[in-house]
Amino acid sequence: MSIDGATTPDVRAEMLKGAQSLATPAPPSNARGITSDLSVDEALLLHAAGWEPLDLVCGVAVVSVPVGVWNWGRGAISLASDAHDAAVDQAARQLRGECSKVHGHGVVGVRVEVAVRTHHIDVELVGTAVRPMDGKDPRGADAAQAMPFVSDLSARDFTLLQRAGWIPVGLAFGASFVYAPRRTAGAAMKQTTQNVELTNYTQAMYSARESAMEKMQRSALQVGGQGVVEVKVTEGPMSFARHAVGFTAWGTAVRLMADAHQFVRPEVVLPLDDAVVTFEAESLRGGGGGRRR
Amino acid sequence: MRGEPGSGAGATTGGGAASDLPEAAVRRLESTAFSSGLTVPDFAACLDMGLQPVALVQGFCVMQWGWYGPGSGYMRGMSPYSGGEQTPGAYSEIYRCPHGYVSNEHRMWGQNLEQPWVEGAWAQGYGAAYSRMLEEAGTHGAHGVIGVVDRVSNVADTGTTEFHFLGTAVTVEGGPPPAGGVPWSTYLAGQRLTKSIEAGFMPVAVVAALASVRVWAYCMTEYYMEGTMGWGVPGEPRLVEQVSKAHMAVRQLARKHVRQQLAGDELHGATIDVVTRELSQGDEVVDCTLRGNRVRRFKDFDQVVLPRPTVRLA
Repeated sequence: MSIDGATTPDVRAEMLKGAQSLATPAPPSNARGITSDLSVDEALLLHAAGWEPLDLVCGVAVVSVPVGVWNWGRGAISLASDAHDAAVDQAARQLRGECSKVHGHGVVGVRVEVAVRTHHIDVELVGTAVRPMDGKDPRGADAAQAMPFVSDLSARDFTLLQRAGWIPVGLAFGASFVYAPRRTAGAAMKQTTQNVELTNYTQAMYSARESAMEKMQRSALQVGGQGVVEVKVTEGPMSFARHAVGFTAWGTAVRLMADAHQFVRPEVVLPLDDAVVTFEAESLRGGGGGRRR
Repeated sequence: MRGEPGSGAGATTGGGAASDLPEAAVRRLESTAFSSGLTVPDFAACLDMGLQPVALVQGFCVMQWGWYGPGSGYMRGMSPYSGGEQTPGAYSEIYRCPHGYVSNEHRMWGQNLEQPWVEGAWAQGYGAAYSRMLEEAGTHGAHGVIGVVDRVSNVADTGTTEFHFLGTAVTVEGGPPPAGGVPWSTYLAGQRLTKSIEAGFMPVAVVAALASVRVWAYCMTEYYMEGTMGWGVPGEPRLVEQVSKAHMAVRQLARKHVRQQLAGDELHGATIDVVTRELSQGDEVVDCTLRGNRVRRFKDFDQVVLPRPTVRLA
């Protein structure tokens, strides 16, 4: 069977070949087996783009948050933001270190876990180290190994990004913690029966969000990025201090490697396996037309 | 009992006596009807590949979780002041107080300590359940087990842990039995398994390992984890080196344990789960479970065409 020149293997014959390969014991091997958290689809896609997985790598950091930081106050909680940034930096450094050890050029599909606790902030980064199969990296092999990129893009997005002439250069992170501002007792009393904007709240939240995003963009520039894609924003009160709100923003910093952006022109497809059934024979008996299944 | 996760070639475990299948299991497996845990699409894909479902197979093992309890034979870690590594080759790091003698209560000494007895007990339970599933499959002359689901859970409130495996035993039409008669196994089924085979990766076994590290905090770790620089004085954010290193070590150990089961093969679709039990004053136990599919490359990659990007109109 052939689709656009690509041959689809006979899966029965392939299965048989695979079973035969297990019929005899494998010769003893000292090879360092590859480990990866990529799905089969992702591994194949990376391969199609000329990259191969090397090893499952991780970076973890626990940074202390000084006591009293979450007590009532005004404005930004800068010590908590500093602790967050330090934890992310350290975890990313460890991740890059593990990647370099296995001669990887970067880490894709990084899972980011951040836990903010009363007295410490824990950051965990886990992903798969990869390298180009032909050893050719647009950044230069030595430079790539010296400073591997860290990206939370999936293998699909990584492949697409490359095709468009861009490369990921690192994780961009920003966090901001702020005290929910209090009104004076007099102001609260006056506003009890009013529909009114709480301007101090608006300004505090606005400013904290902007601050987190500004830090993220700054960290993107620090790693040599021109922009950030796939930005994720989280926000919410701290479970242990409801009067404090945390904002985090992170994404993958990217840089254009080609002379100009390469347009990826997707083909439009019209799937015929439409999920909406517009007509059902059963409806001829009366009592209802199409249904969603 | 045959095989342990990742062995794929008949390594034995200490998980129990041979052929200890329950009577109901023997009767069920003697039935002429096949059973499978596959969804209909997975079942169809399985037949397309030339895999014939034989039976839904399972394996259990209930272990007493008394590894930390008083009187346990596994309590060697409860004596922190022995110093140094307590099992040859196990991970161990010592931390010493920078203050000198302060008081008897002052934590002058700390240690990160791998707990091989916990890891061994987990591997024993996991391996026993796994080998029982393979035994059921082997009883049917199955060549492999696909769509494996494993679960580790606490039984009621009895301080025991159950390891449970479930999968669909299959034979490969016209295929030879695997070496040593031990069926291969994989978490994959359906189209994901088809793609893996087409890509040239044959499943060998599901592999998993638990790594466990105990943190005995020294004074600085205790202070940092309480948000102080000591004696209640707040300071600047600091990297908690001992705890950070324990977290890194437990993940690296899990990876190392799994790699030992690979014997040069590859691990695909790995998942990593970390559970931290905070005890007190910076002490904690960090357990990390890593599992995935051990696969063997039986052919070089076919040239994969870079997929065309598309946009769905629906």
